[in-house]
Amino acid sequence: MIKRGSGGVRHILCFGNPLHGDDGFGPAVYRRLAELPQPGDLRLFDAGTPGLSALVLFQDCCEAVIVDASAPAGQPGKLRELPASAIATEPTAVGHGHGVGFLLRALAALPEAPPALRVVTAEAASVVSFRPGLSAPVALAVERTVDLLRGYFEIEST
Amino acid sequence: MAKIELNLSLNRVEGDLEIAVELEDGVVSQARTVGTLYRGFEQIMLGRAPRDGLVITPRVCGICGTAHLYSAVLALEQAWQLPVPPNAVRIRNLCLIAEGIQNDLRQTFLFFTPDFCNPRYIDRPWFAELMDAFEPFRGSVYRQTLALSRKAVEIVAQFGGQWPHSSYMLPGGVTTPPDLRRIIACRAVLDEIQRWYEQTVIGAGLDDWLALDSADAYFSWLETPAHAASALGLLSRSARGLGLQRMAAGTPHMLSYGAWCDPEQPQDRLVPGGFFDGDSGQIAPLDQRMINEHVRHSWFKPYPGGLHPSNGETIPDFQPNSDRYTWAKAPRYGDRAVQTGPLAELLIGGDALIESLHALEGGNAWLRQFARVRRIAYELVCARRMLDELSVDFSQPHIFNPGKSAEVDGEGFGLIMAARGALGHWVKIKDGAIARYQIVTPTAWNASPRDSNGLPGHWEQSLVGVAVQDPEDPIEIGHIIRSHDPCLVCTVHMLDTGKKRHFAP
Repeated sequence: MIKRGSGGVRHILCFGNPLHGDDGFGPAVYRRLAELPQPGDLRLFDAGTPGLSALVLFQDCCEAVIVDASAPAGQPGKLRELPASAIATEPTAVGHGHGVGFLLRALAALPEAPPALRVVTAEAASVVSFRPGLSAPVALAVERTVDLLRGYFEIEST
Repeated sequence: MAKIELNLSLNRVEGDLEIAVELEDGVVSQARTVGTLYRGFEQIMLGRAPRDGLVITPRVCGICGTAHLYSAVLALEQAWQLPVPPNAVRIRNLCLIAEGIQNDLRQTFLFFTPDFCNPRYIDRPWFAELMDAFEPFRGSVYRQTLALSRKAVEIVAQFGGQWPHSSYMLPGGVTTPPDLRRIIACRAVLDEIQRWYEQTVIGAGLDDWLALDSADAYFSWLETPAHAASALGLLSRSARGLGLQRMAAGTPHMLSYGAWCDPEQPQDRLVPGGFFDGDSGQIAPLDQRMINEHVRHSWFKPYPGGLHPSNGETIPDFQPNSDRYTWAKAPRYGDRAVQTGPLAELLIGGDALIESLHALEGGNAWLRQFARVRRIAYELVCARRMLDELSVDFSQPHIFNPGKSAEVDGEGFGLIMAARGALGHWVKIKDGAIARYQIVTPTAWNASPRDSNGLPGHWEQSLVGVAVQDPEDPIEIGHIIRSHDPCLVCTVHMLDTGKKRHFAP
């Protein structure tokens, strides 16, 4: 389980499109996390596929956790925690439909320092357009991701 | 004769746009714009409660959701014959302007100018200067645009709670009244953007810039150090150095619905609209009855000729292995293919500088982009006016909430100028539910396929005759298409023939 730091607001941003197979990993994690009691210093977002519009979701927080599917590479469902620098920029370098790689580079180019970033990915089995539903390995990764992030949902007793 | 077929994927928004061009001896002889995705918003709307359009149609586009919301609410207000208080119109205009500034800045400095950073231009005298300003993620202007365009839409969030996909306009007004805190917050955003626009983008004060009224005056201005070194000066020098002022006229006919509703007379526009007849050079008043859509070359259930949107239909009918090639329809004004966007808006609206430049060189790729940057000045002026007027009396109503009895059966349309040009929604309500809903987006006009008469759309016309130096890297086509601010996610819409090339700077 990832340990949360102390102090400050944290954002968990779940990216993806549930209409496109395993690209729906992020939204599936969002739905599960949304069932948990929410601490006052945590904001949970179903971030969708917004391109630059998502820059605002990195504001006013000390830490942002990105949840997204990663490209198929032979180990479907494998969970990874990656540094933001490991996320490649998409091959098409312009456009407002850009993915998380473009977004992270844009974030780094802004004048203010970005929040601390964590990236949690589950490797997709395949990318299939307009076929809703997760593959079995990625569906299993959803619950493991919820366990991984559960520490962010601990509500401290006063 | 060398004949090559290219299939370009611009992949602007989730890969919805492809352009197929044929090259003959290195020159484009034929072009087809292909919408690769059926979206079906018009079909989604059928049978729903009329107000559902206010929530669903802003999802048509992640960039111009405010524009769709505005069109949708105007259509309902016309159908239900509802009055709207002036302050509501001011807030709507202010938010539409904020969205427009966001788009115009991003389109220009994140999407259009990066194409000039292509290594092919390394020997050009302006290349090093250009890279310092426009190189993606590193250039000063590129980075500042990222920050300021994000800030612009905070204005929408002040009144709409979020951007994009907000639903704060309701029949009869808006959900949130103006107050001192919101006005101050909006002024702070506008002040910062205007300061940057003056210092960095044009290198002059707004009043001096708007006072420029002739091509000669501009070209003299372009020689002055302050403007020559500004972002627009650099854009003009590089684009004109590459000859973009002689490229891609496309159709000479232009369409504008007029920009921003007049708060006191909402049926009027603060910047007048109309139809610019490119053959006669005359501007005619807008007659929306002239608008019609063809599907002869589209994958929709066939009907003969064109249909006015109030009687239109958008029934998918995929017909592969035919001469149909797109999920976009072909809108026409009468029998004319038209272009729309900031150039049309300012030319028809009466901007003297744009009129003079157009009279000198006609429509072209550089002027389209130039007009987009100039429009930002008008946006800033109008936004400030809206804020000033809102500040006079916060107690004025922000909504005339109609009773349920006002929601009668009927028809209406809402026409506005979105960031990319003329946007229209047409709604027909029967038995309390939506019986027909048609949306004609700016990109539908610009990226239209051939119509029933075989007449190509604006982009298809503008690409013919363009010389492509390197088919492996058809950067010329990129300049042209990006000058139209492509967004087929708005229209909707495969080409599985030919050699596919992904186009990127």
